[in-house]
Amino acid sequence: MNRRVGYAAAVAAVVLLLGAVLSPGFASWPGLRAVLVVASFTGFVAAGQMLVVLVGGIDLSIPWVLNAAAIVLTTTGLGMADRLPLALALAIGAGLLAGLVNGLGVAWLGVPAVVMTLGMNGVMQGLTLGVSQGLTCGECGHYAPQPLRDLFAGTVPAALLVWLGAALFVTVLLTLTTFGRRVYATGANPRAAYLSGVGVKGVTVALYTLSGGFAALAGIMLVGYGGQASLGLGDPYLFESIAAVVVGGVSILGGRGHYLGVVAGSLTLVAVTTVLRAQQVPEHGRLMIYGLVILAILFAYGRERAHD
Amino acid sequence: MPAVRDLQDRLGYVVLAATALAYFAVYTTSLGRPPGSFDYLAILNTTMPLVLVALGQSLVVLTGGIDLSVGGVVSLCVAITAATGGTPGWILAVLLLGTLCGLVNGLVVAYGRIAPILTTLATLSVYTGAALWVLPVPGGSIAPEVRAVLSNPNAPTGLGWLALAVAGWWVLRRTRFGMRVYAVGSDETAARAVGVPVERVKAKVYALSGLCSAAAAVFYVATTTAGDANAGAPFILTSIASVVVGGVAFTGGKGSAMGAVAGAVALTLVIDVLFFAGIDPLYQSLFQGLFLVVAVLLGTGAALLARRRSA
Amino acid sequence: MTVMATGVGRAFGGVQALRDASFAARPGEIHALAGENGAGKSTLIKVLCGAIRADTGTVAVDGRIATAFQELSLLPDLTVAENLLLAAPPRGRLGLVRRGRLRHEAGLVLSRYGATGIDPGSPARDLPVSQRQMVELVRVLASEPDVVFLDEPTAALAEREVDWLAGHMRRLRDAGACVIFTSHRWREIERLADRVTVFRNGTNVATRDRMTEEEAITLMTGRTLGATYPEISAIVPGESALTVTGLTSGRLRDVSFDLRKGEILGIGGLAGQGQRDLFLTLFGAGKPTAGRLSVTRNTHAGREPGTTAGPDSPSVNPESAPATAGPGRSSHRFAARMERWSARQPKDAIRAGIAYVPEDRKAEGLLLHLSIRDNIALATLARRSRAGFIRHQAEKAAISGIAATLAIGAGRSTSQAAGTLSGGNQQKTVMARWLLTDADVFLLYDVTRGVDAATKHDIYHLIADLARDGKAVLFYSSETEEIAGLCHRVLVLREGRVVTELPGPVGDAETIVAASIREPADA
Repeated sequence: MNRRVGYAAAVAAVVLLLGAVLSPGFASWPGLRAVLVVASFTGFVAAGQMLVVLVGGIDLSIPWVLNAAAIVLTTTGLGMADRLPLALALAIGAGLLAGLVNGLGVAWLGVPAVVMTLGMNGVMQGLTLGVSQGLTCGECGHYAPQPLRDLFAGTVPAALLVWLGAALFVTVLLTLTTFGRRVYATGANPRAAYLSGVGVKGVTVALYTLSGGFAALAGIMLVGYGGQASLGLGDPYLFESIAAVVVGGVSILGGRGHYLGVVAGSLTLVAVTTVLRAQQVPEHGRLMIYGLVILAILFAYGRERAHD
Repeated sequence: MPAVRDLQDRLGYVVLAATALAYFAVYTTSLGRPPGSFDYLAILNTTMPLVLVALGQSLVVLTGGIDLSVGGVVSLCVAITAATGGTPGWILAVLLLGTLCGLVNGLVVAYGRIAPILTTLATLSVYTGAALWVLPVPGGSIAPEVRAVLSNPNAPTGLGWLALAVAGWWVLRRTRFGMRVYAVGSDETAARAVGVPVERVKAKVYALSGLCSAAAAVFYVATTTAGDANAGAPFILTSIASVVVGGVAFTGGKGSAMGAVAGAVALTLVIDVLFFAGIDPLYQSLFQGLFLVVAVLLGTGAALLARRRSA
Repeated sequence: MTVMATGVGRAFGGVQALRDASFAARPGEIHALAGENGAGKSTLIKVLCGAIRADTGTVAVDGRIATAFQELSLLPDLTVAENLLLAAPPRGRLGLVRRGRLRHEAGLVLSRYGATGIDPGSPARDLPVSQRQMVELVRVLASEPDVVFLDEPTAALAEREVDWLAGHMRRLRDAGACVIFTSHRWREIERLADRVTVFRNGTNVATRDRMTEEEAITLMTGRTLGATYPEISAIVPGESALTVTGLTSGRLRDVSFDLRKGEILGIGGLAGQGQRDLFLTLFGAGKPTAGRLSVTRNTHAGREPGTTAGPDSPSVNPESAPATAGPGRSSHRFAARMERWSARQPKDAIRAGIAYVPEDRKAEGLLLHLSIRDNIALATLARRSRAGFIRHQAEKAAISGIAATLAIGAGRSTSQAAGTLSGGNQQKTVMARWLLTDADVFLLYDVTRGVDAATKHDIYHLIADLARDGKAVLFYSSETEEIAGLCHRVLVLREGRVVTELPGPVGDAETIVAASIREPADA
């Protein structure tokens, strides 16, 4: 593992400690559990974002892919437990499909990632709003099926195990498989990777597809957490996913980074907000401090190398 | 094949022309008469803020950077303008503040060596917070005489300001600074090696982007006659979209701010086209998204064709 | 003295590029810096011209300085004119740049310095690399400097253009300027330099007026080398390994040849006559419009011939299998017609037993911040994996084996970043990647470019060993001498066509150069 993962973990530890000192109850398991659950949503979207950032890309379609998946889930699940598998499959499928189209556009049509995913965000937003008639459709009011909501109950919510599973999946994929090697090679030098027989386009498509899948997963979990789908559910997660990736020590230029760092990054971001809320800092103060914390972290270990 | 390559360079104008034609056609068929001067003026006044933000964004993109904080700077400046009633003195102060916000970005990017997307992501949060602080609830006002000068709904004052923006770019392009902007975007290391003061160029470019965002904020308040601390948020993605449609390359060094201006106008027109074409407004972003991707595909397609022919 | 450096030290990260280096040059001389890659020449030039600071020591340079860096410093999106006059463009009223005038003046500058045939309005990106190099040099010359630093100025130039540069260097010297240059070609140093300073391991080891190549190599490496090129006439080529018929792709026009097993086939010609298109197309990275290509595979036990073997299909570990233990052979045409060319990407070519070692290791070969091991393993990942998972033990064994064989990184751990290696070791790392693929055909494109003398020597012997093992080698070098010394046969390309075939070893570069510029008989 690299040095930046260590930094990311250290920062997360410092913020959590600070929270424990500043606000009573933060250090307790219920307090920590709340932070972990909220951080898991960031963790899911950041997993996808990280995968595309590793090859020097970016996914701006996360907000509405997430939102679309959330609405697909509630409108096909209809609040019934026995419809949940179908609803899950459709929601994840929608995310994967959007990601696949992103990947094909970027890799095969050569559309810059910013443009392709920005366009996809618009397409998903339009489709979601249009098909659900602005979330006024007959099925739109349904709650998430009970088993999904149960993921967030108990001393150790099963949602956290889902996050653990996702973390294992991403880590194993990147560090132990040939696919992972090809990902890092593509990120480090796409031309050299291509000339060494790496199917750069295929790798790229797979990563964008996975990112779509992770955005959908986040949408599903958010619906389970909140009970219902809403419009604008994904909006906070666009910049939050990028911030988590970078605070997690992943190089925005590609080729470097590990998901463990991103987990720490997600924790840091959510803990900062939680601590500030507990301190009753008003929203404008939270936003400003949040920005300054990210800036400070960037200065600490997010700098590019000197020029000479 | 210079003619085809020109299409890539002039993507913004081509797209604008196509969109304007479509606008004219759907307007005329749906209302039974061609659009009049009042319609053009309304479009001009609506589009001015985006034109200005896109202008600043394109400068940054030309150096190979990106400015996400335009959303925050616009919000902050909207908040201050509306909260103070937008008197000329305050407008000047707002323009200065916007420039300063941009300069901070530039200094962090250039001397702090932090990637532009990350720097401006962080400052976006700071500036948005500041905007909320100034104007916690939407409201405020703007002096009527300022409104009459900036975005008069009955007189084409906006045209003058648009011309000023275009002229500003024209002059900038022909200064040594203008050449250096392209040099930095083209190859930073090489530019440094031949004596271009890369750091100063970057700092200035971000400061200019801040100034453009501040000016956009003033126009925004003049047009809507009130302020909202979240007014800037949509400009992040729309300014990037304008730059893209305008044919400015994200790798830097290629394109023109005028393309981005054309792109901004085209993006505004598309909304009207969809409206007059009778498309459910809920589907609006679907078509905007497609428009963005198709416009860029058109550009890359042309570039590909040019390469094929010359090979 | 115009240029003076005393006790200069400079480190990059953990690597000490210069240590206690001293250097002096006077007005009116051409002074060459010789040394292996990583000896500190480029760093010294950067310190002297002020591009980077020295950690220790003192530097003094009198007069106006101009520098042509090794990494070209032209701005690709700016026009030639803008590049030439960026520092002081012609300006009119209000201080605005006058575009028409800019272009006109740039045209005058180009013709004044004899760089003809370059359009000042063309973006630098669109020029061939030799012309870009010339524009870079014209910019340096046009500033009429007192002190000129030229770091590898001839690397991208053909012989005629080298003559052009030599003329200008002498003119500057005769006008009293101090000209300092580096080159990996000893012939140029011998021809141009009034004095030579040799660098080794970051410090100066000798400065002399005259020096033979043998002396220089001894000084540069600290050891004496045997004969420059290995004896290849004892290696007898066998049957055909790769047949190319009527290949047209990029600049290439209707190229046909037969490459045999155990043969080193040289591709000669002036720079930019389609050599690069030939290599890339054979490797599946070009866009052919006509022609056909077939390879004959040595089949190994357990490995299927040709393209039918999937990339992830289990195959015999090449490290454990004898390289040429082929019980059977099969001729597999992996493209019947170019239109249905199945090697559409390098992946397909690798599967068909072709390896390509590029010239520009930083752009096309290495993943600089990944480990040496990751770099070497990249082309053969699937062979040491089970169900997509890497078998780490097998990988470790294979990589340390090949790294030891090629003596990469002098005992350094293979988990270190490839970027920390010297240029020669970086090139060896790329070679190692391809040796592991156990390919039958090696496409070596200017592999010795920017490599120090000792590594060059190693690479020559490596190539001869490949041929001895029955591998087919296609060889191109920007140093025509290498083609003359190392190849069984040389095809000379001109404007994309094969104009002559010379039997080898040709021996002297002049024969190849003469064939490169001679008008074809039927023209």
